[in-house]
Amino acid sequence: MMPTLWFCVVLLSFLMYVVLDGYDLGVGMASLVERRPDRRRAMLEEVAVAWDGNETWLILLGVSLWAGFPTAFGTLLPHLYVPLVVMLFGLIVRGVSVEMASQVPESSGWVSAFGWASLVAAGAQGFALGALASPVEARGGYAAWFAVLCAVLLALAYTAAGYAHVVRKFTGELQAAAAARGRTSLIAGVLLFVVVVSAMQATAAPLNLTTSARVGAFTGFLLFAAAGVVTALVAFGTATRSAAAEKLPATALAVAVVAGVLALLAGRYPMVGAGFDLASAAGPHATMTFLLVGVGLNIPLVLGYNLFAHHVFREKAVRHGHLPDEGPSTRPSLEGRRR
Amino acid sequence: MSLLDLSRWQFAITVMFHMTFPAITVGLSILLSVVYGMYWRTKKPVFLQAFRFWRRIFAVGFAIGVVAGAVITFEMGMNWGQYGARTGAIIGPIIGMEVVTAFFVEAGFIGVLLYGDGRVKERTMFIATVMVSLGTLLSSTWIIAANSWMQTPAGYHLVHGYFEPVDWWQVIFNPSFIWRWPHMVVAVLISASFFVAGISAWYLCKGRALAFARRSLSIALGIAAVLMPLQLFLGDSVSGAVLGSQLSKLEALEGNWESGSTSFVLFAIPDQQAATNIAQLDVPCLGSFIAKDLTCRTGMPGLSMTDAADRPDMAATFWGFRIMFLAAVLMFALAFTATVLRFRNRLWTAHGFHRVLLWTTPAGILAILGGWVTAEAGRQPWVVFGLLRTDDAVSDLAPGAVLFSVAGFTALYLVMLAAYVTYVVRVVRVGPERDDPLTSAVHVAEVEAVR
Repeated sequence: MMPTLWFCVVLLSFLMYVVLDGYDLGVGMASLVERRPDRRRAMLEEVAVAWDGNETWLILLGVSLWAGFPTAFGTLLPHLYVPLVVMLFGLIVRGVSVEMASQVPESSGWVSAFGWASLVAAGAQGFALGALASPVEARGGYAAWFAVLCAVLLALAYTAAGYAHVVRKFTGELQAAAAARGRTSLIAGVLLFVVVVSAMQATAAPLNLTTSARVGAFTGFLLFAAAGVVTALVAFGTATRSAAAEKLPATALAVAVVAGVLALLAGRYPMVGAGFDLASAAGPHATMTFLLVGVGLNIPLVLGYNLFAHHVFREKAVRHGHLPDEGPSTRPSLEGRRR
Repeated sequence: MSLLDLSRWQFAITVMFHMTFPAITVGLSILLSVVYGMYWRTKKPVFLQAFRFWRRIFAVGFAIGVVAGAVITFEMGMNWGQYGARTGAIIGPIIGMEVVTAFFVEAGFIGVLLYGDGRVKERTMFIATVMVSLGTLLSSTWIIAANSWMQTPAGYHLVHGYFEPVDWWQVIFNPSFIWRWPHMVVAVLISASFFVAGISAWYLCKGRALAFARRSLSIALGIAAVLMPLQLFLGDSVSGAVLGSQLSKLEALEGNWESGSTSFVLFAIPDQQAATNIAQLDVPCLGSFIAKDLTCRTGMPGLSMTDAADRPDMAATFWGFRIMFLAAVLMFALAFTATVLRFRNRLWTAHGFHRVLLWTTPAGILAILGGWVTAEAGRQPWVVFGLLRTDDAVSDLAPGAVLFSVAGFTALYLVMLAAYVTYVVRVVRVGPERDDPLTSAVHVAEVEAVR
């Protein structure tokens, strides 16, 4: 019972991370294909106010796995060593370049570093998830083709979420371009998702859809995901014409991603990765109690901090006012704020 | 070089790089709270100027500290999978508490602190700044609790080589935590003080931004003058706590192989294999004096008392301790001199002293790094002292993979360190003049916006 409850915290951290830092990393990757330097910088500054809080869910994911399922942590992380190291390289450069670029307005190098680092981090995360489908005993030997498919899939999903965020935060040309590109990456992502799910059956971690309950949960979540995708596609198409639609792609994509993950989980539970049963890795009773009370009760607060941070910066993008040598007169009106 | 050595080097490099930044930013975040609070109350522009200037240096340092800290968390499983699995039931929840009570608090409010000017009320700005500094302090509390448990494990039960918690109170408030926590908190305040003092002193030398520089220098050296004597006492108490539970660490940091020496070893090149020092420089009787015996009869224990298999590396432990100790003595002397100058009304004009302060900008940071080398190298060959050996804690990884990560982290961190130093030098050279709210464009615009 308690390990299952704690598994929900691990899962919540994973979903929060994928949804929140997903859009951050997506904005980073989207900035790579943006030509105009001022727009690339504006995209970076949108990430600057939120990346730290969003990335903290990754730390909670790692630590909640460690605390609740110590043997899983001590087995899976060495198994995923190389992709995780590459992910850390990416996240280091991403975080530092965001702050450096915000503080040094004339530097364009840090803005490019931000984009490339986002791509590296997203790809490495997808690769690591794909590598979970290879048996842990393989000791670093992965079914690389599948891991690469997952890397591209996750990068596409993040990119679509990043464009959805840009649509929400900007107006005018930048918004219109983001809506069009967001739709393309979303369609590509959905096609690849179908390929990945079919290919899973050929890996060491196939979906287990033997009982009707599993089939029901799997199809149910997939329907939810499909609804999210369709909503996002339609909203991307109308975002530039309607103020109500511009917030929709981000929400719909979050629903689609969460439902997609839950669908795959319904087909795998209680196994994580290839032949790794999480329940058998659970920590002792005294640890679970401490975790559920001490850490678990803090989760609502943590969500509150996250909400607060997003609430303060909820408005459309403006240049940060913290650099006193740039008055509002010199603030480039990117596309003009919607009245 | 073995797989164990590679993982140890990687951990040493990544953890020391990480520690450099909290050594600057924890204290700076408290300084930011203080100066913003003063500005909020008095509305004196010099406090807002100080807030904006020091925030520039804080912002990037904080980001590097955060991302480099994430690396450590993952290494606990990646490189030290056996450690992660065996101690996870105890260390995991402690770090979990750190994440939810500290990291998320910092992360939730750092955006407002850094980019909230003009978007939020002054009260919100102040609360956000205080919350960030509270987060950094809570973070150091949990991390010291976890590390202290590895030094002096308590409240646990060993089941087939796996640690299980029995009494959480004993786990967290373990014997060495009681002294090491205040020692660490005071250390980061002192390191930030000397960091701020060094930069402020440079402006006084150059005759620039005098109002700003005097305020900053006065606050920094005032804090140092109060905390340095306290720190010498706390440091002595920590070594007293070590004496009882980690004799091998004490033997190694004193630098003697044979027991009974009453002198203080100032310089030594230890030969671990031969269990002797190749070269050594002693101050007679000082060792006995430090042990509070002025009759010169109390001898120091030597590392030969510990089994060869259980000995920490003397060179690392000895030199880590020497760096911390000598930096502390230097900083104590500087804080004392500053107090004398202040009473004689010469603190603003003693340019010779200012130049010395400029050179000691990183003194506190070096002392902290030295202290951590002493604590960690001196705990070897154990990862959980007396219970779990470091070579039983390491993951069985492909050597090429670890070689790749060691090389990658080293290269990346060198670039990051160079970038940060360049950035700080640049910010200092441009100076706090642009942050003066009376002359800067933003202020003028804000005034116009109010109309």
